[in-house]
Amino acid sequence: MKKELIELKVNGRMRELAVAPSKVLLEVLREDLQLTGSKRGCDDSSCGACTVLVDGTPMLSCTLLAASCQEQEITTVEGISEHGSLAAIQKAYGDRGGAQCGYCTPGFIITVKHLLSVNPNPSDEEIREALSGNLCRCTGYSQMYEAIKAAIEAEQRGLAAL
Amino acid sequence: MAEFTIIGKPIAMVDAAGKTTGAGKYTDDLSLPGMLIGKILHSPCPHARIKRIDTRRAKALDGVVAVVTGADAPKTYGILPVGHDETALAVDKVRYVGDNVACVTAVDEATAENALELIDVEYEVLPAYFDPEESMKAETDLIHEGKPHNIEKDYHHVFGDPEKAFREADYVAEGRFIANEVTHAAMEPHSTLASFELDPHTGNLGRLTVWSSTQVPYYLQHKLSLVLEMPMSQIRVIKPLVGGGFGGKSEVIPLEIIAAVAARAARAPVKVTYTREEVFWAHRGRPRTIVDLKTAVKNDGRITAVKARVVQDGGAYCSYGVVTILYSGALLGALYDIPNIQYDGYRVLTNKPACGAMRGHGTVNVRFAFESQLDEISAKLGIDPAEIRRRNLLKPPCITINGLRVQSYGLPESIEQVVERSGWKQRKGKLSKGRGLGLGCSHYVSGAANSIIRSDMPHSTVNIKIDRDGGVVVYTGASEIGQGSDTMTAQIAAEVLGCSLARVKVVAADTDLTPIDIGSYSSRVTFMAGNATLRAAEQVREQIASAAARKMNCAIEDLVFGDDKVARQGLAGGSGTGEAPVPTQPGATASGRVEGQILRGSLQQKRTEEGPKDRMSFEEAVVAAIDFHGALTGTGSYAPPAEARGGKHKGAGVGPSPAYSYSAQVAEVSVDEDTGEVTVHKVWAAHDCGRALNPVAVEGQIIGSVWMGLGQALQEEMVWKDGMLMNPGLLEYRSPSAVESPKIEPIIIESIDPEGPFGAKECSEGSLAATIPAIANAIYDAVGIRLHESPFTPERVLAALRAKKNAKAINMTQGVDPLAPTRFREHGGSLCFRGKGPERHRLDPARRETAGEAGGDD
Amino acid sequence: MSLPEFKLLRPRSVEEAIGFLVKHGNIRVLAGGTDLIPSMRQKLFEPEYVLDIRHISELREIHPQAGHGVEIGPLTTLNAIEHSEFLRRHYPVLTEAAATVASPVLRNMGTIGGNICLDTRCLWYNQSLTWRKACGFCIKKDGDLCHVAPGGTKCWAVFSGDTPPALLCLNAEIELASPSGVRRMALRDFYTGAGDSYRKLQPNELLTRIFLSDSSADLRGIYRKLRIRGSIDYPLAGVAVALKRSDGQVSDARVAITAVNPAPTLITGVAGALEGRAVDESAAEAIGEMAAKTAKPLTTSALTPEYRREMIRVLTKRAVLAAAAN
Repeated sequence: MKKELIELKVNGRMRELAVAPSKVLLEVLREDLQLTGSKRGCDDSSCGACTVLVDGTPMLSCTLLAASCQEQEITTVEGISEHGSLAAIQKAYGDRGGAQCGYCTPGFIITVKHLLSVNPNPSDEEIREALSGNLCRCTGYSQMYEAIKAAIEAEQRGLAAL
Repeated sequence: MAEFTIIGKPIAMVDAAGKTTGAGKYTDDLSLPGMLIGKILHSPCPHARIKRIDTRRAKALDGVVAVVTGADAPKTYGILPVGHDETALAVDKVRYVGDNVACVTAVDEATAENALELIDVEYEVLPAYFDPEESMKAETDLIHEGKPHNIEKDYHHVFGDPEKAFREADYVAEGRFIANEVTHAAMEPHSTLASFELDPHTGNLGRLTVWSSTQVPYYLQHKLSLVLEMPMSQIRVIKPLVGGGFGGKSEVIPLEIIAAVAARAARAPVKVTYTREEVFWAHRGRPRTIVDLKTAVKNDGRITAVKARVVQDGGAYCSYGVVTILYSGALLGALYDIPNIQYDGYRVLTNKPACGAMRGHGTVNVRFAFESQLDEISAKLGIDPAEIRRRNLLKPPCITINGLRVQSYGLPESIEQVVERSGWKQRKGKLSKGRGLGLGCSHYVSGAANSIIRSDMPHSTVNIKIDRDGGVVVYTGASEIGQGSDTMTAQIAAEVLGCSLARVKVVAADTDLTPIDIGSYSSRVTFMAGNATLRAAEQVREQIASAAARKMNCAIEDLVFGDDKVARQGLAGGSGTGEAPVPTQPGATASGRVEGQILRGSLQQKRTEEGPKDRMSFEEAVVAAIDFHGALTGTGSYAPPAEARGGKHKGAGVGPSPAYSYSAQVAEVSVDEDTGEVTVHKVWAAHDCGRALNPVAVEGQIIGSVWMGLGQALQEEMVWKDGMLMNPGLLEYRSPSAVESPKIEPIIIESIDPEGPFGAKECSEGSLAATIPAIANAIYDAVGIRLHESPFTPERVLAALRAKKNAKAINMTQGVDPLAPTRFREHGGSLCFRGKGPERHRLDPARRETAGEAGGDD
Repeated sequence: MSLPEFKLLRPRSVEEAIGFLVKHGNIRVLAGGTDLIPSMRQKLFEPEYVLDIRHISELREIHPQAGHGVEIGPLTTLNAIEHSEFLRRHYPVLTEAAATVASPVLRNMGTIGGNICLDTRCLWYNQSLTWRKACGFCIKKDGDLCHVAPGGTKCWAVFSGDTPPALLCLNAEIELASPSGVRRMALRDFYTGAGDSYRKLQPNELLTRIFLSDSSADLRGIYRKLRIRGSIDYPLAGVAVALKRSDGQVSDARVAITAVNPAPTLITGVAGALEGRAVDESAAEAIGEMAAKTAKPLTTSALTPEYRREMIRVLTKRAVLAAAAN
């Protein structure tokens, strides 16, 4: 298939790539940019393992054409770690058992990151609702809720320390 | 209780950071230079003879490197020695829609997919069997030669005198229960990358390295050797991160063999990753099970006999089937004290994807039937469901009538705990209309006492190496699949050696580096690999101790290992010990370690300047030992004791375990009587795991098991129509989302097993089986209906409610259109496979001339 | 599963988009992609061109018109509909329906226009090429028989959008643009009732606006949806109710159902049955019966047709009572 030159801004860096128009963002992230943190779990846009932020909004990278995302800011899970150390939510997911097999985890990290950016103190109900587009098969979600609460506390402690 | 530093503490998984940052690599994340993509052609027929395969057009396509078919690797294999009925690709017959016919390797996925459409296969369609009870009547067109009536295996066990017990019973309950088919649906689709090296001596293809999403690298290595006809020594299997297994990766899955066969033909590295649909076809999940169950009781609630006839719809290949059908019978024992058991189990072949092992292997569906029937009995006899279970407890240590040895037994306490926490006594029967509580219990093995491969080899072996840097490297064949295997290994090694967790590096599941371990399934890792780790660490500790004792002028027995130090007894609690925080991440203490860092070789000099002392740092002690012994190594292994290996009857090998976990659960549900929708509000789940080595991980496993049971109870079901799986995707196969997943309160019960590592038993599977009956029984408590078929979808619940009320009969399975089929699963009849459709496909020349399609909005 | 090959067109204006539609025959319009992309993966669509309209910003806005209702751009995401204060206040049935579509992440992508134009669904149709080939294809795509109503020549694929029944209750109109100008039609006339050619959209037309009139504003609205999973799922049955009360009596009432017919369907006779009455159990029950009679579910989806029709009855009754109460 004929490739076209496109520009993608991923995790703050502009990348020039030659991709076929039929390539979805997920394929380009994984195969052309080696950002394999975003995962493919389904083929019918149902599981959320490939979730990335597009202009700050969670979207399924398996359902977006890469060429359609030019001029938009893409953040993958690799862009979440702050200054080379674990973000509070990443640390909390590890400590509280929020990740077991870990395959769905990048999608959840993106989803939670967005949730906390628009709603820093979500209720239990709001957390459940926000997470409901990502499927996990290991945890039953429970320990994720604890992790999210722990991350909120850690953030607040961090802010208080400043 | 013994004091531990690392055991029993909530510890983050040692590989957590890789998972939360996306840096961790799963098989599909890997690539090699020159790597090709493999795509598999699947059978469109449920049962057919292959008359001809022509791959020439596919091979001629630009970008295609090789196309392989059954002829390229015709040797049979199967996970069980008694079930070698699979080939890498179909040799003469296909046996289900989705069976593997050919594999194309090409430069990219799209090219490989296009090439699949160019393979011409001529099939001679054979009559197919979809229903196990129909299949058992088959006389001709058998699915496999040598399996009359399409019965893979049947077992008939009688323990005690069940006939007499039924005659003398005060009450006999009888019923048919059906549990429909479910699958693992692990989030990671299976993936395998296979690569051959060129042999420098012969110049031909040499060693094979395979990276694969497997729970058992050793079995894969073994089957690859069989099919490729290569010595095992020439095959290396590496397990990268695995995105969930639940049994679905516990045997050799077709793509794992196919990738290697394709790589051999293509003479290049080949990666095959399943689509989600292919994952459903590979399946190996929990079979649809028909349980005819009869229980005899006395008026006081004592169970005197159980009779079960179990038919499992096993699909087209044996897989773990023989083991599954045996577990279904064997695990009637070891939960309660049942003096007389009769079991008739039939594993039946049908033209559908093979069923295999899935979390709670073999026991779940029978447990649903048993615990539901016990609830019926308790209602009939007017005995509280918790009380009737108490009256049937085992009295361990004991050996059950069917030969299972039970030592630690936390069931009584588990029942007590859930009864108390759920407010059972105060609330049962007193909740608002449509709301109820239900109780269910279950148990599971901590690994099988008998390996599926008959041999005397240990089930787990672990090596430990410590060099002058003081780093502890543990080599284990146990497979981390998200359950915490690597973390458990590190914890045990660190605890025994008294060193910090950060010091321990686990190298796992790489057949070149790690000793044989029969992998992560049947909940065996903590018990078996854990014990092997414990023994290996003890062996190394002994070496360190003997050197340290010499340095400190004391007896070995006077030494205590802890807090990264070796100290003389009585001094361990002194200053500088005890309060050091336990690092939870390998990298987390990087800065803290700098001051303690001892450069290789420099210590000896440092040490000579000091006289004998009361304590040494771990590194000093290690270097002291290395000075005498060279690099420290230790090996530990585990084989289950002879006493735990069960009886002598045919099939006695399956069921025995060195230890059983126990679970009791109370579910609180409400039922919408107009819609039949069931809401689970909360599940209290008590699980006896011996000792909880890592409580946060144990709780995660309990919650995960309960939650997966909830999925099977309420919404998950593989729906079939004439061998076509109607819901081969995560959109239509509905594992629960966060919205409807209830609160699950895990309660850890520690019975401290005499043989488990630090007293630990399994915690990852046993809880699942209790959840389904707990929910069923809660539905009964809520609205008085007894559900005999899972999942309890709203239509099944509503149909039962209507039947109970004698309300306007509503046939929930009848369509509106008079032409429509009477039952979804059966409708459509022979129309399948008869249409003119295939000729109208886009690759058909006649169709290519037709005009393009209309446009429109998305 | 890779997408079939195509050429991508990325217009920046409606005019440019229409130009592409005229120029290229075999073309599909891509908005949110949540329906089209998975379908293309299954080779249900293999267009030569894909018209990516995601970046036509003029189609992305909600414009309240003083005294004349509201105009909604078809590219407005379902999330934006759900969170629009204006719509929530004046057209609550729409925001409520939008909030139930699929899952949060899919609502971030999916658009109201896409939900209106959503392809009809069937378990025999929404499957991979390999799967469909195995059963000889079906009448909606590549084949010549229907597996759902064997022997029939009609396609029964079911319309599974959540917002269209709400829009039908609001008497929504839509604007379709083509080179020959724009045409405006009632949304209820947009659907054909057939499962295959389910909508009246010409190959060179683009949905450009959705109108809700002032006279439909401020109706009490409720949307109820049957699904097995609490998120992600398409509806297995859905009911939208909008009604107006004055002095405790109903002055206007509309009910529409979805996911049980090849088109979202307005129930006829609802206003007549309720107008001038106070809504009670029996009145709601009667509306439920009317809705259930209109529903013609078949085995296109999970759960049995009879159950889904029964749920139309139950959910309609409940929705009517809830709309009258709130």
